[in-house]
Amino acid sequence: MKRISSSTPLIKLAGGVLVLGAWEVVVRLFAPAYVARPTSIVRALPQALSSAGMLAAAGATLRAVVAGLLIAVVSGTLVGLAMGRIKAVDRLLKLYVNGLYAMPMVAILPLITIWFGYSSAARLATVVFAAFFPIAMNASDGARSVPAEYLEVARACRARWTDVWFGITLPSSLPYLLAGLRLAIGRALVGAVVAEFFISIDGLGYFILFQSRTFHHDAAFVAVLLLAGFAVGMDALIGWVTRRHLPWYRTAAA
Amino acid sequence: MNTEARKVRWATYAVSVLGGAALWELAGRRANAAVAAPLSATLLRLWEMIETGELSASLGGSLALFVAGFGIALFTALPFGLLLSRARVLRVALSDYILLVNAMPMVALIPFILSIFGLELGAKVLVVFLFCFFPILYNTIEGADSVRPELIEVARSYRSGEWAIWRDVMLPGTFPYAMTGVRQAIGRGLVGVVAAEFFLSASGIGQVLMTSGRNFDTAGLLATVLVITFLGVALMGLGRALENRFTAWRGLSG
Repeated sequence: MKRISSSTPLIKLAGGVLVLGAWEVVVRLFAPAYVARPTSIVRALPQALSSAGMLAAAGATLRAVVAGLLIAVVSGTLVGLAMGRIKAVDRLLKLYVNGLYAMPMVAILPLITIWFGYSSAARLATVVFAAFFPIAMNASDGARSVPAEYLEVARACRARWTDVWFGITLPSSLPYLLAGLRLAIGRALVGAVVAEFFISIDGLGYFILFQSRTFHHDAAFVAVLLLAGFAVGMDALIGWVTRRHLPWYRTAAA
Repeated sequence: MNTEARKVRWATYAVSVLGGAALWELAGRRANAAVAAPLSATLLRLWEMIETGELSASLGGSLALFVAGFGIALFTALPFGLLLSRARVLRVALSDYILLVNAMPMVALIPFILSIFGLELGAKVLVVFLFCFFPILYNTIEGADSVRPELIEVARSYRSGEWAIWRDVMLPGTFPYAMTGVRQAIGRGLVGVVAAEFFLSASGIGQVLMTSGRNFDTAGLLATVLVITFLGVALMGLGRALENRFTAWRGLSG
């Protein structure tokens, strides 16, 4: 046990070499020449990362994802808190929130293009739609899990409802909100990429589609790596914020 | 008192459903027919789709695709995950990379699959498979990490054979986590089905969505979205039931 943990980084490195090596060999032996493999991706990396097209695409996608997440966090938190605090609101909205959360969001794309046209507004709408429901669901779970004593003390002190909502309920449901945000980030990225495929507007998704259609798989794969980097980076940021500012919550409920 | 409360609860649910239906009907009537359809028109169109067999044919195709991709993923990811759960060195070597791939938006790989495998049926199964494979694998490994090494040591010191260790320690320890993965895979797999039917060769429920969207058959589009929503809710419920059954047995919660 001790021996393994002291050589862990080496083992991980060996695992990486193994995976990349297997990929390289399989593609060289069995796949056509244009298919991406580690060495060809590394060779394409500098040019792809410095090309204006790729940077513009990455910026467009990232902006849409961040803007959509912001809208979804604010609106989802408000709706979720209302559902968690007010029973009638919960019963009125629960069916719809649960149902739309379970619906595969890709299916909404044709409808969104009818409502928003083939524009970046449609992409934003897709991202908001993808991110809203996990946040609202987790916020309402969080608001319900506030310890009853807190609320009793607040009532005894005649706290205003705004204080109960935003001074007590919101902070104590933060771990749930962060868990919801983690789910939402993954879904928002998928939403942005899928929308770009569907409506062909500038962004990493469309970049991947265009480059792989013209058999530039290496450049396209660099864009995939960027997307994966966004996903992992945002997740790490949330983990860091949690540890930094909410150290008493170990891992939030998923 | 209790029955009174139950009555109130059902009444609010009824208000929720009827209110949503009325809102949909009114909004649909006021809007342009190309943009939205009232609930009544949507339900009529749904009935028409059921009667002509259009719905069952496309739904059947989509479900077959789902079962194929999900089934292959289940029968490969589960054994592989269990293998990794005993082979500790291999697990340490690979788990970071599996985490990374699991966090990656898998839709981004669809253009590559399109350009390498074209419009064959196998390409779509591959997409669904990829969507389902990594959540199952990732969670199974997570379960293996949660099995305390002391348990294996104790089993070993009582001279448990490999089979006994599997039966008494590894399977009960990893299975609840694997079921969480299965639940996630069901949700992602459904997204994969619709995405594959959109972006690879059009078929099934995805094709119905595409064509009704393109023809501004908004009632047909909304009817199909309604069907997919119910499908999503049903599959998600199934996944959650599976998960709860096994986490309850383990005495785990959350």
